[in-house]
Amino acid sequence: MTFRTAAARAVAVIFAVFALAACTASPGPSATSSATGPQKGGTIVYGRSAAVTSFDLNNEITANNAFAIDKVFEPLVSFDTEGKIIPWLAEKYTVSPDLLTYTFDLRPDLEFSDGTPVTAADARFSLERHRKVQGPLPLQAPIRSIVAADTHTLTITLKSPYTPFLSELSGFSNGIFPADFGGRTEKDFFAKPIGTGPWVVQAWDPNGDTTFTANPHYWQEGKPYAASLIYKVVSDDTQRIQQLLAGQLAGIEDVAPASLEQLQGNPAVSVAKLGSWAVEQVFFNTQNAHFADRHVRRAIAYAIDREGITKATTFGAAQTVHTLIPPTIQYSADVQALDNDPAAAQRELAASAYPDGFSATLMINSGDSARAQQAQIIQAALKPLHIDVKIEPLELNSFRERFKAFQYDFMINSGQSDAPDPDGLITFQADPDGFSHSFWTHYTNPQVTKLMRQGRTTADGPQREQIYAEIQQILADDVPYIPLYNPDNVVASGASVHGLSPRINGSVLFQDVWVQQ
Amino acid sequence: MRWVGRSLLSVVPVVVGVVLCVFFLIRIVPGDPAAMILGDQATQASIDALHEQLGLDLPLGTQLWNWLVGVFARGDIGTSLITSQPVAGLVWSRAGITAGLVLLAVGFTVLLAVPLALLAATHAGSWLDQLVRVVPTIGMAMPAFWVGLLLILVFGVNLHWLPVGGVGTGPGEPLRSLVLPAFTVALGMSPPLVRSLREQLLEVLDADFVVTLRAARLPRWRVSSHVLRNAAVPTVSLLGLNVAYLIGGTLVIEKVFAINGMGALLFSSISSRDFPVVQGIALVLALVVVVVSLLTEALVALLDPRIRAA
Amino acid sequence: MTGTATRTVPRPGVRWLRRALRNPTLIAGAVIMLVVLALAVFSPTPYDPFAQDLDHGLDPPSPAHWFGTDQLGRDILSRVVAATGTDLRIAVLAAVVPFVVGVAVGLVSGYAGGWLDWIVGRVVDTFVAFPFYVLVIVVVFAAGTGERGIYVAYALVGWISYARVIRAKTRSLCRQGWVEAAYGGGLSHTRVVGRHLLPNVLPQAVVLLMTEILLIMVAVVTLGYLGLGVQPPTPDWGTMISDGQLFLTTKWWVSTLPGLAVVTTGVGLSLLGDGLADVWRLR
Repeated sequence: MTFRTAAARAVAVIFAVFALAACTASPGPSATSSATGPQKGGTIVYGRSAAVTSFDLNNEITANNAFAIDKVFEPLVSFDTEGKIIPWLAEKYTVSPDLLTYTFDLRPDLEFSDGTPVTAADARFSLERHRKVQGPLPLQAPIRSIVAADTHTLTITLKSPYTPFLSELSGFSNGIFPADFGGRTEKDFFAKPIGTGPWVVQAWDPNGDTTFTANPHYWQEGKPYAASLIYKVVSDDTQRIQQLLAGQLAGIEDVAPASLEQLQGNPAVSVAKLGSWAVEQVFFNTQNAHFADRHVRRAIAYAIDREGITKATTFGAAQTVHTLIPPTIQYSADVQALDNDPAAAQRELAASAYPDGFSATLMINSGDSARAQQAQIIQAALKPLHIDVKIEPLELNSFRERFKAFQYDFMINSGQSDAPDPDGLITFQADPDGFSHSFWTHYTNPQVTKLMRQGRTTADGPQREQIYAEIQQILADDVPYIPLYNPDNVVASGASVHGLSPRINGSVLFQDVWVQQ
Repeated sequence: MRWVGRSLLSVVPVVVGVVLCVFFLIRIVPGDPAAMILGDQATQASIDALHEQLGLDLPLGTQLWNWLVGVFARGDIGTSLITSQPVAGLVWSRAGITAGLVLLAVGFTVLLAVPLALLAATHAGSWLDQLVRVVPTIGMAMPAFWVGLLLILVFGVNLHWLPVGGVGTGPGEPLRSLVLPAFTVALGMSPPLVRSLREQLLEVLDADFVVTLRAARLPRWRVSSHVLRNAAVPTVSLLGLNVAYLIGGTLVIEKVFAINGMGALLFSSISSRDFPVVQGIALVLALVVVVVSLLTEALVALLDPRIRAA
Repeated sequence: MTGTATRTVPRPGVRWLRRALRNPTLIAGAVIMLVVLALAVFSPTPYDPFAQDLDHGLDPPSPAHWFGTDQLGRDILSRVVAATGTDLRIAVLAAVVPFVVGVAVGLVSGYAGGWLDWIVGRVVDTFVAFPFYVLVIVVVFAAGTGERGIYVAYALVGWISYARVIRAKTRSLCRQGWVEAAYGGGLSHTRVVGRHLLPNVLPQAVVLLMTEILLIMVAVVTLGYLGLGVQPPTPDWGTMISDGQLFLTTKWWVSTLPGLAVVTTGVGLSLLGDGLADVWRLR
């Protein structure tokens, strides 16, 4: 055998391997339209950025777990695409005139996924357990008692009026599960959970994928359409999109806005957007010498062009906002905000204790391309004020550690609500005594605190609206944080998938999704 | 026999060294795993309680000792702080994929490097030789992730020949899923090997014994096999070294191609400060590298009797 | 008049230069690297690489902006040129300490032999078995993103390549006997190593240096891709490629052109190294 022959053979082998692989290639997604209505059966493979690490609903807060928990457990009430409270497991609910007693009527024939009927005693057990465990999203309502009046009626009495109560109950952490964990231990139960939700956990890898099968006892007639749902972990943004385009995934969450143009131009892909409950903001550490000065914060707020930031970094998937309550949440007000006025910025800085400028470090979490760009825009915007900004990108866990220890000057972060009521947001971001210390800014304003408490006990209506308008205006004037924009929740799906669209909280109602067979 | 004993003596300090280094290294990174597990609502009391439960409150020396005892006495390389799964199981579930990737990459590398080097050496000085010398140069200058992204675009997204990422479970999987990543790695690993092999071939082809063999009218393929055996020695060593580097370095390729291998697990466990998992992976990787080194030495000794005699 | 034909034998330096000028690889490499170096040092940017223009983000290449603009409206050509200085500087600086340490360790270990050599061998093996990215990631997490992490990480592990090669070369030189003769003739160890061995191993080390600078440059770019790179807003090829990744198919110029700069510089370094090795008869 000559060298030439050997070389030729080797090259042939390489191409043979590729050809072999190509022969078993699957065809890409084709843009066929659906002729008939929803079809039953099939598997939805959904690409997510992180794995599910726990199903213990009372002890979780992060999205990777929350949006798996809400497939298995459901709350008494829920919210629609506008954030309005709607009946869910409770088909009807009433509030007493003194706003202290809430009565819930459970749906008749409601069953858990193992076929056992759901009773008010189960609901009572679930909520009592949440109260006992507390967790990162505790029930803040001043509950006096939870009573199962009869098998399908639950009565909850409060000590004092608490308007956000129904909103709280609609959260995933208040899902209903069997009393006494169906006779199993707590640990065993959450390893193989039973709930009323449309999906049942079949296989679960805390470092990888999770497989659900349809719940045959689900209370919504004919749903879920698909037979199984797989949560596939693809942590890289680009990879998720590429796998969707190649047909390996049926749908993906967390679609990076930068890739929207590429996806929207592709006929085999449909993109669905819905406003979210999040607001991207610049947060000041008000315990820092420079940022304790109100004039400095106001100067920086005037110096930043929020619309410019939105246009340059969100690719049409966000809207500029001037208040911490996004337009998707009740009582979001039109405030008089300090925006994009360089002359006013100079005046404010001149009135401050640092008229000649100073140095500060802007902290962001690394690996987030949009935030890196925003930080650079802010850096350039503050240069004319002689505020010398150094950008410090930190890996996510280090980032969290630093700001929670108040070891930062100012940072870009995201304020997120878990419920349709504005109280949660305001408390998290403006209560210095809460565990979040005003979103780690330590902003303390007795007037705001007073209004905050009033807002909780005032019934929905113009009076409550006025209270939150006032709070938002004070915050817009004091700017302990500068709201930038409200991003959309974006999901994308392939041609064979129908009905995949996000909820306001970012989750997806997979019982409404069907696959073309 | 003496050789085996000597090799073991060399191996043990290496593994111990790596393990010790990793143990202390991972703990210099700021970030408390307990605080991370408990998340936003962590109070100091609950963090302290979790520290006790996970054994993180013990002095470093004790933690190290406990872990070493666990490894050598029970073969237990620890439990994940985050998911409470045994590390051995975690590593084992990922090892297959990474091993497959590495093996396939080595295969492609050899298939690429040997013919190219042969081609260049036998046409030394010609334009073909120049071409073969220039192409690897370009290959080395291209970052692996860059090459990977381009390959994904061409073969995966546009041509739909191969999966763009992940490890599938259909017909021909996971082999199909590993083709592009393995090829990307091979494109990066082969340039220095092509160079080395070509140099060695040129040296050997010039050597006296080859002229003698040819003069004795031995068939060309027999001469070739002699030539190749002699030329191969430094290149095999180089390949062994590159494989050793590769084993610890699949991280980037696994990220580009969304492969759930050891590299990806390593990155995520460092990010979440899951010490036992990081230690466990480092231990396993060190062992594998050491085994690969020994195998390389054995292969070299097989090829070159002069080394055996030494 | 003596009639002696005076044929001048060119001095070694001149011989070397002639050989060098005849070698196409070295010429090509040197030309590319001179251009790259000039760009790095003089940084002839048509625009200010930091000047943002939010209304003209992601503009395609045009007469006004030859390489187009990035997300914040900054001129990409200017940023690519500026990044040349950044990345080359980091790669060269990061390569210095490993070079010095590695050559020293290789020389001493190869010359001394015995148990010292054995220990060094084991240390080298340990570092080879050490997952490099664990080290880099840990260092970057601990020291923060940016240049510091890269310098520290490479200072810790970069010396191995030199140590292995120089040790092998030293040992082969020692076997040639003249080393023993020198030592036997009364020269101290230091003189033998410093005045006699070092100049003989230096060419090999320098050729390796070219490759190492290339590898460090590629590693810096890769770290940028992993989100662990140079701090913004300093232009850096890796971060530029990473930033443009998400719109690779729609706004190709953002990632592709910095990528080409990486490849060109890498090719230049590689050719330079190969050319030097040719001229110094190392291959």
